[in-house]
Amino acid sequence: MRIGTLKETYIADAALFDSRTQKAWLVVAAALLVLFPFMASDYWLYLACLVSIHVASATGLNILTGYTGLVSLGQAAFMGLGAYTVAILQAKLGTPFLLNLLAGGFVAMLGGIVVGVPSLRVKGLYLAIATIAASFIAHFLFANLKFTGGTGGLSVPPASLFGLQLDTSFRLYWLIVPVTVLMLLGAANLFRTRIGRAFIAIRDRDISAEVLGIPLLRYKLLSFGLSSFYAGVAGGLWAYFFRVVTPESFPLQMSIFFLAAIIVGGMGSILGGILGAVFMTMVPELLKLAVDLLPGGSDLTVFLSPVRLVIFGALIISFLVFEPLGLAEMWRRVRRFFHLWPMRN
Amino acid sequence: MEQQRISTKRRSLMLGAAAAGAAALTHPLSVLAQSSEDIVIGGSIPMTGVFAFAGVGINAGIQDYVKIINEGGGIKGRKVKYVPEDTGYKVDVSVAAFKKITSQNKVNVYYGDSTGFAKTINPELDRNGSILMAGASFASELNDPKKYPHQFLVGPDYTEMFSILLKHIAKEKPGAKVAFVYSDSEFGRDPIEKSEAEAKKLGLSVPVKIMTPAGSVDVSGEVIKLRRAAPDYTIFHGYILAPIPEFITQGKQQGMTSKWMGTFWTMDSSTVMKMGPDGDGFMGVMPFRYYYDTEKAPMLEKIRAMRPEYQSTAYIQGFLAAMLFLESARRCLDAGKLLTGANLKAALNTLKDFDTGGLIGVPITISGNSIPVGRVYRADMKAQKMVAASDWIKL
Repeated sequence: MRIGTLKETYIADAALFDSRTQKAWLVVAAALLVLFPFMASDYWLYLACLVSIHVASATGLNILTGYTGLVSLGQAAFMGLGAYTVAILQAKLGTPFLLNLLAGGFVAMLGGIVVGVPSLRVKGLYLAIATIAASFIAHFLFANLKFTGGTGGLSVPPASLFGLQLDTSFRLYWLIVPVTVLMLLGAANLFRTRIGRAFIAIRDRDISAEVLGIPLLRYKLLSFGLSSFYAGVAGGLWAYFFRVVTPESFPLQMSIFFLAAIIVGGMGSILGGILGAVFMTMVPELLKLAVDLLPGGSDLTVFLSPVRLVIFGALIISFLVFEPLGLAEMWRRVRRFFHLWPMRN
Repeated sequence: MEQQRISTKRRSLMLGAAAAGAAALTHPLSVLAQSSEDIVIGGSIPMTGVFAFAGVGINAGIQDYVKIINEGGGIKGRKVKYVPEDTGYKVDVSVAAFKKITSQNKVNVYYGDSTGFAKTINPELDRNGSILMAGASFASELNDPKKYPHQFLVGPDYTEMFSILLKHIAKEKPGAKVAFVYSDSEFGRDPIEKSEAEAKKLGLSVPVKIMTPAGSVDVSGEVIKLRRAAPDYTIFHGYILAPIPEFITQGKQQGMTSKWMGTFWTMDSSTVMKMGPDGDGFMGVMPFRYYYDTEKAPMLEKIRAMRPEYQSTAYIQGFLAAMLFLESARRCLDAGKLLTGANLKAALNTLKDFDTGGLIGVPITISGNSIPVGRVYRADMKAQKMVAASDWIKL
C-alpha cells in the first residue's frame, strides 16, 4: 500500500488509474505508442507487434493462472484454434478481419471451456497435465483435418481495411497494438467486477469461495473461456502477422513460454503479464544486440550464441530467486520510491 | 553546486543515451557504414537449438566461400559481406533476424533456416523484390517457381531425393518391395504420397508405410509391422538419427534382410557413423560429395586446405549456397543488371552445366527451383566413411 494516496470515495478507491501522475504517464505512453511506428525501423516494428501478440496471450493466461489459480499448459493450442479459424475464414470466405478475430476468439473460447471441464476435479500440476492433452489433440486435428491443410498448413491472405492490405509490420501495428490495448483494458476492468473478484476468491481458496456463493464450475469454466478467448484473438493476430499457419506453429514449448512470462512478470497482475511478455521476447533480442556491439564478426556470433542462452536462463532464475513476485513487484517498488521523491527522507 | 553538476552530467548522459537509442531505432549505424558496393548475404542461421548441428556447419561454409571470393578481389570488384544471426531454429526469431539484417544492410541474397521460415517470409520477399533466398529446407512445396519466385533449393527436394533412391533401387533390383518409414511431421510426410506413385511407375511396390511420432524412441511395434511386410529396401525420412538405429538393430535381430536407406539430413558422415556396427551398409541419397571424397574436386581440395578437419555435409550445402548466390550476382553484374530478386533468380536459372568445382560430381543445370541431382552413398563402418554406391543420378 502506498502512502499519500488518500481516497475519499469507493469509486476513487476502485479507479483503474488512481493518480494524476499515473494518468499523465499513461498519456505519454499512449503518445509514444502512436509515434513509435513513425520513428522505428521495420525490425523494431516487427518486435513491437510480436511483443504485443505475446502480451495479449500472456494476459489471457494470467486471467486463468494468475487470477483464478488454474495452471494451464494449453495456451498455445488455444492460440492455434484462433489462428486456424482466422486463416480459414480469411482464405476461404474473405470475411472482415475484425469478425475473423472475434470468431477466432470464440472458437478458442469453446475449446477452452471443453478443456476446462476437468478443472472442477483436478487442480495444480494435475490440471496442467490435463491441459497438455489439449496441445496434442489440437496438433493432431490441425495435422489431419482436410480443411486445415494437413501438415503443410494454410497460407493466410493479408487482412485488408478499406482496400488497404495490412501486409507490413507498419500497417499491422495499427491493428495489433490497439487490439492488445483494448484487451488489456478489458482484463484490468474485469477485476473490478464481480466476475473478476470471484476468480480471485477461487484462487485464494476455492472451498471458501463456494461457501460465499460462487458457483465453482461456472466461474472456473468462465475463466478458462475468457483466457482462451484472449489466446484465440492473439492467435488470430499471429495468423495475420506471420501469414502461414501450420500444426508446428503452436508447440507445447510456446505454452511454457507464456507460463514463464507470467511467472517472471508477476502472476495475478496485469502489469506482470505485460512485463513478463516483454521480458521473454525482448531480452534474447537485446542480448543479441549486445553481442553485436562486440568486435569479432560471425565467428563470435557462433561462439556467443549458446552463451547468450545461458545468460537468458540465468536471468530468469535470478528473477525467480531474488524477486519471486516478479517484475511487476519491482516496478511497484520503483513507483513507491518515486511517489514521494525527493521527499523520501 | 556539486549536486547540480552531477545532475547536469546525468541529464546529458541520459540525453546522449536517448539520442543513441533513437539513432539505433531509426537509422542503424551499420547501414551508414556499409559501402554501397558491397554484395550482402544475410543469414537466419540456427547456431543454437535442435538444428545447431547443421547451422554451425552452414555458417562456416558460407563464411569460407565469402572469404575465398573476397581474397580473389570480390565479384567484379565488389566485396561480399556476410551477416548471420542466430535463430535457435524458431520461425519468429528467424523473421526477427531477417528484419534486423535487412533493416541494417542492403541485403541481396539471404539464407533461411527452415521450411516454416521460407513459407513465412515468402510474401515479404515478393513485396521487397530485391532479395534472392535459399536455405536449409528441401521441402517439395518450395520447388514451385510460381509460388516461390524468389527462392531456390540448394539440392533436390525431398520428393526428388526419394526419386533418386527409387531409381537406384529399380536399377539394382527390379520389382523390389520398398517400405517407407517417416515421422509424423511436415518434414516427414513431405515426399510420401508422390513417392508411392513414383515407385509404382518404376515397377516397384510399397507394401507398407509406417508413420512414427517425431522423436519416438520405442519402435518395437513398428518393427514387427515392418518385418511382416518383408521389404527389400526401407527408406527412412523425416528424422535426423533416432529412431533409425533402433529400427535397424531390432530389424536385424528379427532376421530382416532389408537394405536401409535415408535422405539428406540423416546422411552426414558423423550422423551415420553413430549408428554403430549395425549401420554398416546403410545407404542414402547425397547431392554433394563428402569432405573426404578422393575423386577430383578442386573446390573440395580448397576446403580441405582451409579446414584440415572433417566438415559436415551441412557445411558443403552452405558453401554451395554461397557459390550459387554469388554466381547469380556475377551473372547479373556481367549483364549490367541490377541485383534484384527477379534478376538474381533469372541469372540463377541461366546456369547450364555449371561446374561446382566438384562439390556435385556432375555439372548442374538449374531450370526451376531445385537441383535435381544426387548420388547413393553407402556406410563403410570399417573405414568410418561413406562410399559411393551409385553413379550421379540426374532426374
